[in-house]
Formats: sequence, structure tokens, C-alpha cells
Amino acid sequence: MTEAPAVRPGSAARWFPNAEWILLLLLGAEGAAFGVFGDHFLTAANGFEVVRLAAEVGLLAFGLTPVIKAGGIDLSVGSMMGLAAVVLGGAWSSLGLPLWLAAAFALAVGAAGGAFHGLLITRLRVPPLIATLGTYSLYRGIAEAVTGGYGSTSGFPAWFLDLGQGYLGGVVPVQLPIVAAVFIALWVMLHRATIGREITAIGFSPEGARFAGIRTARATVRVYATCGTCAALAGILYVSRIGQAKADAGLGYELTAIAAVVLGGTSITGGRGTLQGTLLGLLCLVVLQDGLRLSGQPGEIAGLCAGLVLLLAIMLNQSWSRARRASQVEGLRNPDPKSPGKFKMKNSQIAVLVAAILAGALLIAGSNWWLVRSLGRAPAGPVPPARRITVAMTPKTVTDPYFVTCREGAAEAARELGVDLLWDGPEYADPAIQNEIVDGWITKGVDVVAASLVNPKAISSVLRKAQEHGISVVTWDSDAETDARAFFVNQATAAGIGSTLSDEGARLAGGRGQYAIITTTLTDTNQNEWIRAIEERMAAAHPAMELATIHPCDGQRDKAMTEARNIIRAYPGVRVLIAICSPAVPGAAEALKQEDNRRVMLTGLSTPNLCRSYVHDGWVGSIVLWNTRDLGYLTVYAAAAVRDGRLKRGDSAFAAGRLGTLRVEGDQILLGKPFVFNRANIDDFRF
Amino acid sequence: MRAARRELALVAAIAVVGLLPLFGVPGFYRAGNLRNLAIDNLPVLVAGIGMTVVIISAEIDISIGSLFAVCGALSGLAAKAGWPMPLVALATLAAGAVIGAANGLLVARARVPAIIATLATMAILRNAIIRATGGAWIQDLPAGFQWFGLPQAVAQPVYLGAAAALFLAAAWALRHTAAGRSFYAVGCDHEAARRIGLAPGRVVLAAFTIMGALAGAAALLNFTRYPTIETNAGVGLELQVIAAVVVGGAAVTGGRGTLLGTLLGVILLGMIGTVFTFLHVNPAWGKAIQGAIILAAVVSDTAFGKRERDD
Repeated sequence: MTEAPAVRPGSAARWFPNAEWILLLLLGAEGAAFGVFGDHFLTAANGFEVVRLAAEVGLLAFGLTPVIKAGGIDLSVGSMMGLAAVVLGGAWSSLGLPLWLAAAFALAVGAAGGAFHGLLITRLRVPPLIATLGTYSLYRGIAEAVTGGYGSTSGFPAWFLDLGQGYLGGVVPVQLPIVAAVFIALWVMLHRATIGREITAIGFSPEGARFAGIRTARATVRVYATCGTCAALAGILYVSRIGQAKADAGLGYELTAIAAVVLGGTSITGGRGTLQGTLLGLLCLVVLQDGLRLSGQPGEIAGLCAGLVLLLAIMLNQSWSRARRASQVEGLRNPDPKSPGKFKMKNSQIAVLVAAILAGALLIAGSNWWLVRSLGRAPAGPVPPARRITVAMTPKTVTDPYFVTCREGAAEAARELGVDLLWDGPEYADPAIQNEIVDGWITKGVDVVAASLVNPKAISSVLRKAQEHGISVVTWDSDAETDARAFFVNQATAAGIGSTLSDEGARLAGGRGQYAIITTTLTDTNQNEWIRAIEERMAAAHPAMELATIHPCDGQRDKAMTEARNIIRAYPGVRVLIAICSPAVPGAAEALKQEDNRRVMLTGLSTPNLCRSYVHDGWVGSIVLWNTRDLGYLTVYAAAAVRDGRLKRGDSAFAAGRLGTLRVEGDQILLGKPFVFNRANIDDFRF
Repeated sequence: MRAARRELALVAAIAVVGLLPLFGVPGFYRAGNLRNLAIDNLPVLVAGIGMTVVIISAEIDISIGSLFAVCGALSGLAAKAGWPMPLVALATLAAGAVIGAANGLLVARARVPAIIATLATMAILRNAIIRATGGAWIQDLPAGFQWFGLPQAVAQPVYLGAAAALFLAAAWALRHTAAGRSFYAVGCDHEAARRIGLAPGRVVLAAFTIMGALAGAAALLNFTRYPTIETNAGVGLELQVIAAVVVGGAAVTGGRGTLLGTLLGVILLGMIGTVFTFLHVNPAWGKAIQGAIILAAVVSDTAFGKRERDD
């Protein structure tokens, strides 16, 4: 028996056994690129903002690292955040537990939910992907079922809100020490404790680990329980940052977290992976997002780049580890010191590819920089300001056709006034993302933030922070708490929308019978306000109308069509459908058309372009809306006027370009009442 | 007989769920309702055929929701450009196949694990379409787009027939042709498949290409139901399809699974929502019930299947 010579790996190989140092290069490249093109990117304040952005996803990613290293996966971590949020809120407000106990209870639920995965996987031999795919629905489902989707808890004490919003010594976000403690604990567990070696062994070969005397079932359950606890902690931090506990916490976070883990060099097939790698992977993704935001790029560009970076980094890593394995095999067969030559070549390949990534990032950021500068030389509008001001406008979601038309109007006004317009919002109405976007704009230093709030409680605090930083704030479409903004561009109040929709619905139904509502999601804040307003108005003005059911369509036309068909068959008493989500009206209209159902009437909130043919053919009785194009237009006019002092509290009128002079009441600029579009007038409107 | 155990368990589950509407509002078993259910779930079934092939090959594709939306948008652009509908259909399938093949190359050539490669393409495709359309729908399509210009009463049976033919052909090919068996061989054991003369890389590439083309087909079957195209469609479709396939008995570790099982999985998961609407169950419970049913189906299988695996 000859013993293989013990080779002591260099420090890079010891700390980054899976070539995670590539990510350091990438991170450096990102820092360099955004330092040039991002506004205020290389500042300490932004560094801490990045930490705050990374905190919740980071907790998920850290918890997932041991799971993935052990050859497993957990798709349910985002859902567990939602469940933990609801448990925390419920235990505190309904059961009356002290808040710390409620938080401990939420953590225990997280541990139990994780251990449940471990049991499914070890006792019942369910593959981890499937077990957690099931609980992905189950945990979020329980959270929604318990709260009905809309139930939420807020009014948390200040010390709790400080966990997510406060700064230690005025500089360091409170999340940092919490997340750092979790990181260190998990690092010790994974890299310095017995269980860490067990996890590695299980990841490489569960059978082999069992034969080596490792209690694999026990280790697996512990790993998943740890992951569940981290997810619950992330849920608690989320609640504290947003100030509200609701079932939609952490929606979609699981994929970002998994991406961070695998980007950090952890092998998805198990066995390999380090926690410091995950940290680097996480930072690469978050810095990319933050830097692109500070360079004025919308969220979808960040999503695109994140996908590309993930692909490139994994491909690099694959080719590198294949080369290393080949050279190791070579080294065993032919112990000759010349073999490392091959290695160097691979390193140079990597350098070329990293340079390519850097060049790509520079190209994107640079093209935007050039574009902004070249636009700056365009002829100025009627009121040439001394310095071009930047209006940053956020809709509730960027994918809703309603907001697409708002954006057209906003762009028109920006051209007329010669202001720079930034437009960015969440892909799906997610308060946490909108919160982050506004936070990024504060760092970037825009002049005005104009926000249509996903959720007043969740976004008002960050708008106040913007005002503290000297940024003017106006709200539009959906208002904030009144002290968090200067003016609200008011197209219609929830009560106004509710009563117009109810009156239309009752009119179409002939004043009596059942009505059903198709909403976006059961958790959507604005839609739930409208539903309450509809119910109140119906009870007050149309007592013979009775609510049959409320179904969500997830903002998807396909699902709206299915739900509408099911409702008209399963609730024969329903005379009118009220669809309060713009893709839902054409979806429900198509359902009525395909069922050839002239008995059930349809009204709702949507844009004329989406519904035109259905209104003409009589499948949609009427739609209720304001001129969304004008809303965007007016908002930019108001934002610019607030900034340069032409619009102040106490004014009673305001001149807004082609809209003429509009009425100002207190701190609200009125666009006008919601408008009813029907067969007679819909062709007068093109938006 | 053993192999049919999962299918029998699913048939039993479908029968139990299928009995529930008898206690609810009448009308679930009317022909019109069943036809609606079938038409609504055709895209899931057609994408599920592709996903079964991918999962049998021990891979996974989570980009299909985004791919579905991209294919739909491309079909709309082609139709608006005045292309005849058969050409639009072919182009959509081809676009799906090309993007699917790109996934396949990433997995088979660049050796990126499938879940990561398709996680990345999922993000890239979804964000690209938001970037390209700004969230706007594709409107003013030619009249011949909806139902391929057929009257609805004709088109719906044609769609059902086409999907049934596709399903039968795929089921037959997967079971009885050498090409079909090669997916099982590669999914069971790459090395063994190589030793018997298969090229695992090419088989995996083929699986992803088929998946892409079928995602295109699913997009056609879905979007031609309407006169306009919602560019933000298909969010979450991948999880719906994967759930149906694994509930149908395909093993995510590869080498095991049947299209009959996938069909039953699609039926079971597809009918739950409608059944519970007919029972007037509060929709807030929808997700929880769905999760519980997925878990119950999978657990029941492993409980039955335990002895089998230990043989």
C-alpha cells in the first residue's frame, strides 16, 4: 500500500474549493462598472442598502446551502415566509401573545415545517423536489386560508419595526448583525462541525454515508428544519421591514435564493458547496440589481442580466471543475509536475470570459448613459428648467396593461416638459420589491418620486424616508398615508370606484339577483379595498343584490376565463360578474362569448383597447375607468410642478398642459370622476 | 400489473374527487362543462407530454412558462405580419423547438445542470418579453387567428381530437419505439445507455427540443382561443405541469413514468378547482387543498411502492 502524497491546497483552494473566486472577479467587475455609471453607487450608504436588500433572500440562501449540499432542495422557503408572517401576526394580535413569543412561535412553525420535509423525504422516501413542491402550495395555501388572503396585521411596536427599518448608530441596518449571526452559525455548522461532514457525505452518496455509520435520516431532518427556521426568520424580518404581516410575504423569493446558492458554487447534485460561496453568489445578484437600478435601468434588465450571469458563471465553473478533475486524474496516473500547465490555460479562458461579462455590463450601462446624455441635448420643452429634473415613477406592476397606458401618457408629458423619466415597478404587485425600488431611487438621488402604491402601509415609510432626503414625493392612482407625500393625483377613490362599479352592476342585473367578483389575487390590497367599497355600496343602495362569491384570477386572462365559466355554471343565481382586474374583463368576456351566455352581464375595471370588441358585441355591458393615459400625463406635470415650486399647498387650480386647468382640493389634484365606457362612447377613446 | 399500480391509485383518487360534485350544485357533469374543462387543460396536457419525456430522461425544464409566453407572442406577431395560419403554427412550433434545443445544448453540451440552466432561461425569456412588449398585449390580430378561423363548435372538437392523436402517438412511440425507449435508458443510467450504443447527450438534446416544440404547441392551443394575446401569460405554468407529471408517477430521478400517468395527473389536478367551485368552497382554500392533494398522491405511491423498490 502506497500512500498518496498529501498535497496541502493553497489558501484560495481552501476557502474557495469550487472556484468561487470567479465571483469575486465578477463582483469587482460589477463594482467598477456601476461605480462609473450608477449614481452614488460607491458610497457607504449604498453598501448598507445592499445589505438590507440582501437580508431576506440571504437568510433563505444560507438556509438552503446545507440542504442543497446534502443533495436536496427546498422550493417551499418563500411560502414558509408567508406562513411565518401570518403565524406571527395571528399569534400576536389574535392570541394576544407578547411579540417576542409570537416570533418564537413563528420560528418553531418554521422548524416544524422543515422537519416535516425531512420526514417526508427520509421516512416516506418522497423525492425532495416533489415533497417541497407540495408544501410550496400547502404552506402558502394555509396562510391564505387562515387569513382569507386579505387579512393582515399591522401596528407593530417601534422596536419590532426597527428590526427591518432601523439603523444601529444611524448607519448600520439592524438586519446586518442578525443575518451575520445566522451566517456564522451556519458556517460553523457546515464547515467546522460533525454534521457538516455528514452533510457532505450524504450529498456525495446517501447510501455510502449510511454504510459509513452516519445517521442519515437524523441529519437530513435537522438540515431541513434549519432551513425552515431560516425561512421563518426571513419572514419575520420581511414583516418588520414592510410593517405588515400578510399571506403574500416572500412570494417568488425561492428562485432567487436557489440561484444565489448555485451561483455560489454549490453543486445542485450535492456534495460540494460552501457558505462563503453562497454569500458571494448572493452579493453578485443583489449588487447587479442595485447597480442597474442606480444606473436608471428598469427591473427587467436586471432580471435578464441575472439569468445571463447565472448561466455564464455555472458554465465557467463546470468547465473549470472538469479541467481540474482531468488534471487530478492525470496527476494520479502520471505524477509529473508539468501537468499544471493545462490549468493555467483554463485560467486564462476564465479571464477572457469574465472580461466578456464585464464588457457586456459596461455596454448596457454605457448605452444607457449615452442615451440619457444624448436625450439631454434634445430641444427643451415649454418650461426649460435650469437643470433637467428626474421624475422616478413606479406603478403597482409593470405588466398590467392599465399601467402600460399610464406610462405612455407619462412619457408624453416628460417629452413636453423636458424632464427625465424613470419607470420601474414590480413584475407582480409585490410591496417588498416596490419598497426596494424606491429605496434605490433615494440612493440614486432622483428629484421626484411619483408612486402608485402596491400597499400604503408597506410603502409609506420609505416615501417618508425619501422626503427626509429632500426628494419631493407625489402619489398617483393609489395613495399613501397623507404625511408621506406632498400631493396625490386622484383619479378616483376606492369608494368612488366601488360605487360606480356597484351601480353599473346593479343596473345591468336589473337591480336584483346575485353578483360575483373576479379579483387579481386574494391578497391584493387595492382590490380588497374596492371589494369592500362594492359590498358597502351594494348593501346601501342596492339591497336586492347579493354577493355570491369572490374568485382570484392571479392577474391572468386564462385563469379569469376558467373562473368565469365555472362561476356561471356553479352559481346559477349570478346575474352579473364584476371583474376588477384589467386582464380579467376580456377573459370573462371571452368566457361569456364562448358559452354564448347572454343571461349573465359583465362589468369591471379595464382599459378600452382590451375590451373594445367585447363592448361592441355586447359581451361586456360597460367598463369603468378614467383616462389612464391622462393620469400618467398629469402625474408627471404635477411632479415637475411640485419640484420647481409652481404647485404648493393651498393652490386651488393647476394648469397641466393639454389637459387644461384642473381643480386642486387640499392636497389632491383631481383628474375627474371614474368614467363609464359603453358601446356609445368607447370609440372616442384610444388607450 | 405492478407498473399500473400508480395509475390505479390515480383512477381511484379521480373517482373520489369525481363523486364530490354530486353533493354540490348540479351541472358539473353536463357535456358543456366537461368540454370546457378539457379545453382549458389541453395546454397543460400537451406541455405535460414534453415534460414527461424530459423527466423520464432524468432532467427537468422550469422555463416552459416563459417559453409558452414567448411562443404565444411570436405566433401573434407572425399572424399580424399576414402569414397564413398553418405557417404561423409551424413557425411557433419551430420557435419553441429552437429555444428548447438551446436549453438542451446548455444541459447536454455545456453540462449545466438542467434545473439551473432552465432557471436562467426562465428569467431571461420572461424578462425579455416584458422588455420587448412593455407588458402590452398583442391586439388587432387577423380574424383567422382565433380558432384558426374555424367556427368554435367545430374548432373545439378538432383541438380535442388533435391533442388526443398527439397523446396516443406519443404514448405509443415512448413505449414501443427504440427512440422512445432511449429516453428511459438514458434516464436510468447514462453510462449504461452509452455502453449499449446510445448517445446520451443527443437523447437529452432531443428531449428538450421536444419539450420546446410542445410548449409551442401548448401556446398555440391556448392563445388561439382568444382574439388577442396576453403577453404576460404562463406564469407558474411550469409548476402546474411538473406537479401533474410527478403526481402521474414519473420519477424525478429518471427512468420511470408513463404518459397515461401524466394524463391522469392532469385530469386530477385540473378538475380540483372546478369541483371545489361547484361545491362552493371558499377559493381561499384552493392552494392548500391543491398542495395537500399533491402530497397525498405522492405519499400514497411511496407507501404502496415501498416493497416494490426494496425488491
